[in-house]
Amino acid sequence: MTTIDSQTQGLEHEHHDHHHDEGSYLTPRGGFWATIWDWMTTVDHKKIGVMYLFAILFMFFLGGVAALMVRLELLDPVRQTAEGVVTGQMFNWYGDNVAANNNLYNRFFTLHGAIMTFMVIVPSVPASLGNFLLPIMLGAKDVAFPKLNLFSWYIYFFGSIFAVASIIGGGVDTGWTFYTPYSTTTDADHWRVVIMVLGVFVLGFSSILTGLNFIVTVHKLRAPGMGWFDMPLLVWTLYASAIIQVLATPVIGVTTLLLILERTMGIGVFDPALGGDPVLYQHFFWFYSHPVVYIMILPGMGLISDIISVHARKKIFGYKSMAFASLGITAVSFIVWGHHMFTSEGELAATVFSALTFLVAIPTAIKVFNWTATLWKGSIAVNTPMCYALSFLFLFTIGGLTGMPLGALATDLHLHDSYFVVAHFHYVMMGGTIIAFIGAIHHWWPKMFGKMYSEFWGITGCVLVFIGFNVTFFTQFLMGTRGMPRRYATYVDEYEIWHEISTYGSWILAIGLFIHAGNFFWSLVFGRQAPPNPWGGLSMEWETESPPVLHNFHHDPVATHGPYDFDDVQPPHTDPEEFPLPEPLPGGAKPH
Amino acid sequence: MATIDPASNERPALAKREPLWKTYKHGHHWPDAEAEFDAAKIGMWLFLSTEILLFAGMFCAYAIFRMKYPEAFVNGSHYLDWRFGAINTAVLLGSSFTAAYCVRNAQLNNQLWLKINLAITFLAGAAFLAIKFIFEYGPKWADGKRPGELFSYPFAENAHEPIWWGVYYGATGLHASHVIIGMGLFVWVFINASRGKYGPKHYTLVENVALYWHLVDLIWIFLFPLLYLIH
Amino acid sequence: MIAPLFIDGLLRDWFFGDRAYSDTSAYSDDLYMFIFWVCAFVFIGLNAFYVLCLVKFRRKPGVPQQRSSSHSTTLEITWTVLPTILLVVFFFRGFWGYLDKVVVEAQAEQLDLEAYKWGWEMTYPNGAVSLVSDRIDPGQLNEYPIFVVPEDWPVQLRMTSRDVIHSFWIPDLRQKFDVFPNRYTSYQFRMDPLEEEDRARANDAFPSGYRDHTLFCAEYCGDSHSEMAAIIRVASREDYANWVVTGGVELDKLTPVEAGAILYTVKGCAQCHSVDGSDNTGPTWRNAFGYERQFSNAPAGIVDDNYIRESILVPGAKVAEGYPNQMPSYQGKVNDFELNALIAYIRSLSDRAPTSLIDEVQGEPESTEEEPQASLNRPDTDDNT
Ligand code: HEA
Ligand code: HEA
Ligand code: CUA
Ligand SMILES: [Cu+2]
Repeated sequence: MTTIDSQTQGLEHEHHDHHHDEGSYLTPRGGFWATIWDWMTTVDHKKIGVMYLFAILFMFFLGGVAALMVRLELLDPVRQTAEGVVTGQMFNWYGDNVAANNNLYNRFFTLHGAIMTFMVIVPSVPASLGNFLLPIMLGAKDVAFPKLNLFSWYIYFFGSIFAVASIIGGGVDTGWTFYTPYSTTTDADHWRVVIMVLGVFVLGFSSILTGLNFIVTVHKLRAPGMGWFDMPLLVWTLYASAIIQVLATPVIGVTTLLLILERTMGIGVFDPALGGDPVLYQHFFWFYSHPVVYIMILPGMGLISDIISVHARKKIFGYKSMAFASLGITAVSFIVWGHHMFTSEGELAATVFSALTFLVAIPTAIKVFNWTATLWKGSIAVNTPMCYALSFLFLFTIGGLTGMPLGALATDLHLHDSYFVVAHFHYVMMGGTIIAFIGAIHHWWPKMFGKMYSEFWGITGCVLVFIGFNVTFFTQFLMGTRGMPRRYATYVDEYEIWHEISTYGSWILAIGLFIHAGNFFWSLVFGRQAPPNPWGGLSMEWETESPPVLHNFHHDPVATHGPYDFDDVQPPHTDPEEFPLPEPLPGGAKPH
Repeated sequence: MATIDPASNERPALAKREPLWKTYKHGHHWPDAEAEFDAAKIGMWLFLSTEILLFAGMFCAYAIFRMKYPEAFVNGSHYLDWRFGAINTAVLLGSSFTAAYCVRNAQLNNQLWLKINLAITFLAGAAFLAIKFIFEYGPKWADGKRPGELFSYPFAENAHEPIWWGVYYGATGLHASHVIIGMGLFVWVFINASRGKYGPKHYTLVENVALYWHLVDLIWIFLFPLLYLIH
Repeated sequence: MIAPLFIDGLLRDWFFGDRAYSDTSAYSDDLYMFIFWVCAFVFIGLNAFYVLCLVKFRRKPGVPQQRSSSHSTTLEITWTVLPTILLVVFFFRGFWGYLDKVVVEAQAEQLDLEAYKWGWEMTYPNGAVSLVSDRIDPGQLNEYPIFVVPEDWPVQLRMTSRDVIHSFWIPDLRQKFDVFPNRYTSYQFRMDPLEEEDRARANDAFPSGYRDHTLFCAEYCGDSHSEMAAIIRVASREDYANWVVTGGVELDKLTPVEAGAILYTVKGCAQCHSVDGSDNTGPTWRNAFGYERQFSNAPAGIVDDNYIRESILVPGAKVAEGYPNQMPSYQGKVNDFELNALIAYIRSLSDRAPTSLIDEVQGEPESTEEEPQASLNRPDTDDNT
């Protein structure tokens, strides 16, 4: 695909035919307030992406602090000393009243779960990196509906404010799943739950609009010469997850709406006392919240495809099967929601949903094997993005494989709502999506901000995160199989050792993440100027400057080669000494 | 002007009184206005599909509770007066027709009829709501035929009638809120139309708002028989 | 052959801590280990491959890269089909194990289980309610009920909830099912027979010994979700039958105060009201009766029989100042006998309780210092502490 204005776009080249004063998109326009105003009203997909990025990282920080509090409470089970004093409870604002202290714990994990899902991981890749990269990768100047894009950013912003307001108002203790009738009766004389649920409702719109924008952009704004199978895999996965965003999110909309009506007016559809059905709520909830886990992971998979391919400098193995596997996951994602309810739904439903659940593993398996094969005979650079990609392969595979005993009926009856599930979903969400996300931020950081980060600290952070993560969450598998239920503020002695190890692990993890945050900050202030193509990538974003100019490209780009043609095309702006083309096969044969 | 903002379409000073639709410039990131129009339509259809899914949740709830408590639902539909439902159906169907005519008139540059049709559609929406609130919601609410916990109708024949009213108010309420949003959109389009923004070369918004209105109509066409007619 | 089995055994210990205590749960452990071995094989294979690639193909300046293929239909079909076959096996084994767990054996002993915030109540076929309790948490903070079930005999629980959703989980049975309000769900099992070490625990109540399993609430249900545990005690069939007739206390054979003390735990009052004067979600019962109380929604008044009765049936009528209006109504959940017993018990906890002429004549005033009945119904106290 790429290129385009290659003759004119030399770096040192200053004079273009038009737009000759067009600076980077980061160049301030006018004074301080003018610049602020410019950012607040911008419809530039890059700026919106950057604003999303920082908002999401901030939310990640909030959610992470809540997670650390959760772990801290679990450092010790609750004990009573000879004098009758309660010890071992970190949250002891209410003194020896264990139940009231537990309530505080419950608010923390709800907060953690709700922030991490609705405000961090669902928007994470699409809204930040996706917004920034998707149009550039397609050779477009912007997404299809730029104003809608800005609108969806404000929806995200205000939706998050709702959620934060409910926290300031004292927090919510329902769990992120808001199961009825608990969620309709708890804190009965307070507005907090309603506000939180309203926040989720509002955030849903933001997600729908982003998805809608991406679908239309992919259909209508590909540069001339770029066919569907010339798109980078990140675009494919964003497209696949956009379909889920558009089709699944309305259902959480109507669910939250009914929940709000239930709480405010008691309309009764979920209230067993009036003949309503709490299991119906669960079906509604998971009809969205299962597909949503593939909204989370699909873009992460796309990031990994691109990172591995660029840093192993090898054409991605099985491009088409990768693209179709993404769509396959999308399709299957809609029909497996019932696997969260094996212990509450009927036998027939449980059987059907269990069978369907295993279907998801097939396209995912294809992806894992393709990534693996891509490494073979590559030229593997060991740097932060690649370390993260390898961590992803390790962690996500564990997460996915532990989905197997959860999907099998006989074993799920044991594992359901235990720490095994907690470990499973942290391995896929944190170990999958967030790890891919952090790796990708490193990969595209030079492009986004025009600065290099410190590779040493990057790799150090990655290693700490990897170790800390496994220490934190591997122990949770063992607790789970041994019978530790989730959402427990206190526990019996048997599990103490595992909880302790897990909490120590979370500290290592936190140190690793703080190193990254420091590294990024350092890079913005002191970082070396980034070249336009530091990694030798071939997709279109590496054509343009770092950071990209206001309209992404100086001239309307035309795709002339695929995003992964590392065998044949010298990456733009690179030195053949540094990024040599691979040697031809003996006898000059061309591999397919 | 040295600064370039992707948002602003720099419009050259207009020759006197050129209608706005003639000078419409498509977004800078589109190759031409046609592509932009296509995209807007795809976007609208996608949005409509999300709306359908939103209501699908309501229809699901209806189906499930109808299966669980058939008597309550039969009773419930007897409380509704099908005549009001039918009138409202007619009102909405008619307004769908005028909405389609808005598009037609924009395409033909009949500015006056464009505005008249917009106004009629808006008024039809208002009529729909008026009938709904004055003749249906109001008296029922006063009788105590309310959803769930608020239910206080003394002559209920079935223990599960509160659920029926929950579904009834939930589904029609969600629909009514869409009617209100639609009316707001028609006001917006009307204001734009009076400024001469729509004409043969540019009528994207007219088209999309009309599409939205058709959807609102379509959903009512499902709600009407489900709630009023099936016993 | 021996070595893998040995490793398998070690890993089972590691994963589960304790063995499975029924045939159906042993089946699901086998399935778990089967899935584990398949996945471990795939996982180790993949990671060995990554390491190999990292060693062999690491980017080094001056070392040229070989071109290589990026597509192979044979390979791609292989790694689609092979996992599919394995997945089909996973599904069917999981399904069969599930059937064993949901199908009720004929002749199963039917027990009624009721869940509430935050505890469990078991009713035996003869109407006896399980009332014995013990402390198992690290701080010995809470009392947990003990439910007795027969060994090697099918048991079916008919479960329902008084308030929100709970979930009944006995980890040693590798099985849980949710418990809903306004609806029954069922849980069935057949506990493995007692073993030597269990028989060694023989005592008066259980002459052939017993074995305890913990049970947890696995569906989040609020503040004391994590304290909503209980003990399942497996006893021989005769011991079970005898215990239910004699040991599972029949309330009407007790004095009202004794019965009230038991109802205090059984009905869940203990979750919010202390009897030792300490503070909790609700006001303490110690020295409540006969004292004046401030209300947030009514003028102050004396705590008397009628006030207590009203507070149990219509808790919101007068809300003690400084406490949330959170208590659920017990209307229809306690009968008159139980109500009287509870009131008698609350009276007995106060130093302003009226004394009886009988006591004075006999010189045996009702003790208010000791918790009544603390050990009366615990035939096995010494074994468990
Ligand atoms: C990013 C998010 C994400 C992803 C990608 C997944 C992926 C999967 N999940 Fe997970 N899941 C969650 C997030 C996610 N999950 C969350 C948040 C919850 C809990 C919510 C809550 O209750 O709070 C949950 C809970 C959950 C449950 C319910 C557990 C319970 O509560 O009882 C189940 C049950 O089936 C399940 C299954 C699966 C399966 C089969 C996959 C599959 O997609 C995995 C497929 C991947 C692989 C299989 C690995 C790669 C393949 C190979 C290496 C090939 C070889 C493999 C074989 C031959 C087996 N998940
Ligand atoms: C995206 C999803 C996500 C992520 C990333 C995490 C991350 C973490 N989670 Fe959690 N978790 C959930 C989603 C997630 N979680 C959900 C959905 C639940 C269920 C809730 C429920 O039951 O309702 C849950 C529940 C849950 C529990 C179970 C509570 C219970 O059942 O009782 C625990 C316990 O250990 C836990 C721990 C952690 C820890 C230690 C981390 C750590 O990984 C956190 C590390 C992060 C930090 C320490 C912050 C540092 C960040 C910065 C400095 C920002 C800057 C960063 C960069 C620039 C890179 N989480
Ligand atoms: Cu009961 Cu959790
Ligand atoms: Cu799922």
